[in-house]
Amino acid sequence: MSDPRLPFLDRRSFFRTTSAIAGAAVMPRILSIPSAHAQAGSTMVIAAPATPQSLDCNFDVSLGTFEAIGALYDGLLGFEKIPDPGVPSASREDISFHADLPGGVNMVGKLAESWELDPSGTRVVFKLREGVMSNWGNELTAEDVRWTWNRAFELGALGAFYTAVSGLKSPDDVRVEDKYVVSFNTAEPNPLLLKIQTNLYTPVYDSTKCKEVGGTDDPWARKFIENDSAGFGPYRLQQLTRGQQAVFAAREDYWGGKPAIDTVVFREVPTSAARVQLLQGGAVDIAQYLQPLEIISLQNVPNVVVETVPASFMIWIELNAKTPPFDNVDVRRAMNFAFPQQQVLDAVYQGLATPLNGCMPNIYPGFSDEFFEYSYDPAKAKELLAGAGFGDGFTTSLAYNAGDPVQEPIAIIYQTALREVGVELELKKIPAGSFYNAVTERGQPMIFYVDSPWCPDPGYSLTLYFDSASYVNYSNYENAEVDRLIAETAATADEAARLDMMKEAQGIIMSEAPWTFIAYPNYTMARKAELEGFTYYTSNNIRFQDFHRA
Amino acid sequence: MAEAPAKGDGAPPGSSATAGGSGGIAFFLALLRARPAYALGYVIVATVVVLAVLAPWVAPYNPVQASPVDFLKPPGWPHVMGTDATGMDIFSRVIYAPRIDLAIALAGTLISAVVGSALGAAAGYYEAQRGIGTFAAGFVMRAADVLQAFPVFVFAIAVVAVLGQSLQSVVIAVAFVNTPIYLRLMRGQVLSIRRMRYVEAAYIAGVSDFGIIRRHVIPNAMAPVLAQLSVNIGWAILLTAALSFIGAGVEAPTPEWGSMIAMGFQSIITGHWWPSIFPGLALAVTVFGFALIGSSVEVLADPARRRALAGELEARRRARLATA
Repeated sequence: MSDPRLPFLDRRSFFRTTSAIAGAAVMPRILSIPSAHAQAGSTMVIAAPATPQSLDCNFDVSLGTFEAIGALYDGLLGFEKIPDPGVPSASREDISFHADLPGGVNMVGKLAESWELDPSGTRVVFKLREGVMSNWGNELTAEDVRWTWNRAFELGALGAFYTAVSGLKSPDDVRVEDKYVVSFNTAEPNPLLLKIQTNLYTPVYDSTKCKEVGGTDDPWARKFIENDSAGFGPYRLQQLTRGQQAVFAAREDYWGGKPAIDTVVFREVPTSAARVQLLQGGAVDIAQYLQPLEIISLQNVPNVVVETVPASFMIWIELNAKTPPFDNVDVRRAMNFAFPQQQVLDAVYQGLATPLNGCMPNIYPGFSDEFFEYSYDPAKAKELLAGAGFGDGFTTSLAYNAGDPVQEPIAIIYQTALREVGVELELKKIPAGSFYNAVTERGQPMIFYVDSPWCPDPGYSLTLYFDSASYVNYSNYENAEVDRLIAETAATADEAARLDMMKEAQGIIMSEAPWTFIAYPNYTMARKAELEGFTYYTSNNIRFQDFHRA
Repeated sequence: MAEAPAKGDGAPPGSSATAGGSGGIAFFLALLRARPAYALGYVIVATVVVLAVLAPWVAPYNPVQASPVDFLKPPGWPHVMGTDATGMDIFSRVIYAPRIDLAIALAGTLISAVVGSALGAAAGYYEAQRGIGTFAAGFVMRAADVLQAFPVFVFAIAVVAVLGQSLQSVVIAVAFVNTPIYLRLMRGQVLSIRRMRYVEAAYIAGVSDFGIIRRHVIPNAMAPVLAQLSVNIGWAILLTAALSFIGAGVEAPTPEWGSMIAMGFQSIITGHWWPSIFPGLALAVTVFGFALIGSSVEVLADPARRRALAGELEARRRARLATA
């Protein structure tokens, strides 16, 4: 019998309710992380939304995996670093077009010591550094590179994408020329032969170790690579407890010299508010992926530095060209004229983003902003809708990701704005776990998408989203002329001609508005003041070896 | 939970236990005077209901109209409770919200009361009879055991997950988790009532089972069910808000307290407390109001406590007269 004065709060049911609600809230975990770690001079603690899932970059594209791959592996090439023009304390890659350099790119060797690009654009030869050791003590040879690309061919998945964009048709196109010399050969001229070697997801594996652990059952060492590493990167994996933390230890025998930070503790802290608190309280050195308001609030915190730089991120809404009424170009254009872009940037991004005024990253060579015409204009939107036979408007739905806190407010603001032009928008919240599926199924009339093409190249970027055969073309956009320009751009090594063709393609795409154009969100690093060396990469991840304490 | 059923075999069939006292309204008012906390409960709930009903006229803004230029304005004028991240007026949303929360809670609770009581009455009535009835009654009771074995909140999430995110799903989830409560309550009542002489008399007179349950058993067993009802609505509001908080309830931007709290709670850390604190307060106060009403109904519905209270009120009246 319960206390008659508290009829519905008998003890058991009280605990049942309160614990359920407390379980949904997230704050109580905040102070459970020992701050002692962060004090040690050569240890760096990072609060991240998630620990790596798989460590195999052939299969996993989750947030924590990016950082892990950057620490455990190295590729053949990297872009030269330059100071960020806007934030002097930060560096970034020099991705601009250099007409005087081979391939038009300004690169430095990583695992490759030197390289030679054939003028035909169909062959590149890499001379590897000698004496580079893996974390298992095996020396890097040309066989490791060949084995790595063979693995990509054999396992398909993401590897198949990289072999395809590199123009490689079979494993035999990657040839061992000498113990330390390897060549890549394509039938057609391929403009990405060099750029693809800088990609975070084209690292070189220690094939000796992989063959040893894989044996005949698992020739590509899938099980091993998923949970451990065999690479030539600056760190080795010390511990991985999924859902809690990953620990990385610096390698004494790294070819580039031992990194300044000895140990990196990568902690999973799912709530961004909790990550902010940990950084404010000094328990962690870096808080990743914060919300705009949180970033603003950190700007005045002593001993915390916030560096926010233009990035390759883009956020947009796919207007499904196979779902009426978005099969009508004028309706898609109207959806853009009805979108209050600047208001969304001010209210939701607090100035930490710039308007998405193109269909590829604006920091990449070949980008053009001259085709963006969609300033907020409801009257023009109404006119276009009337012309398309939707004078009375229509009803449709917009799916958004429950796991991305900026999407719901944008959706609500868009809903209000569309009501003004007669379009009723129903909002569909999709759990973070199934959101990517909802995007790839291409079944929603409108759905948010956030992405960044890692390779700083216009051909690469436009192929991803607008080639009618591309897997990532989630808006079902199809235009024969765009397809033709993309195909031609992929088959010529004449950089100037490629840029011209890609500009033409951007003009067509922008006029046909396959997306509702939202924003280029910045990449933001929130860190302790004494931790220096932040470098921005177009793959939007940090690399632990860049950091040192002041 | 369950109150002891009215004692005495002489209660006439069809009479309600709540009608046992004299001067219903007067007694009720006397009770509110003697126990001001109960009165507070009625005032709170009445205020919430009136505001919700009059919301279209009272609310200064459209509750789903974003106004991005006014995002995150602190409480002041003209936005007395401030605005949220999309510039929607929080005060307007807070007073619109009970239209959803109360409606879901009421509907869910009523469905569970009706279904649970009917099943409980049947289970109680047939339990002692031999044959298929006993078997069926046992099955119903064990099914209720299984339902109650799950934590309420987890079970409700599962129900919404299976049915999909919609208002109806939340109503069904609320109804589902509450049904076993009424089932047990009613069964307990019926087990004692079915042995009453007037039930036996009706049986001997040849009234059908259905007729006996409908005309003699249920009316006499209703009192604790009604008491439980008002108690349960408070519960159901909490459950509705909790489901919406985790994103399993209503769709944005429908004004609803739980989802408002969810939309705003992350920004408390950046100093923007108002988008989530105000709906949270409204929710707490409303549930508190229903709890108080539940307490008063429990007193009113229990003949023994009611008699004791009537005696106390009478004694006070006499004391006042004596001093005057």
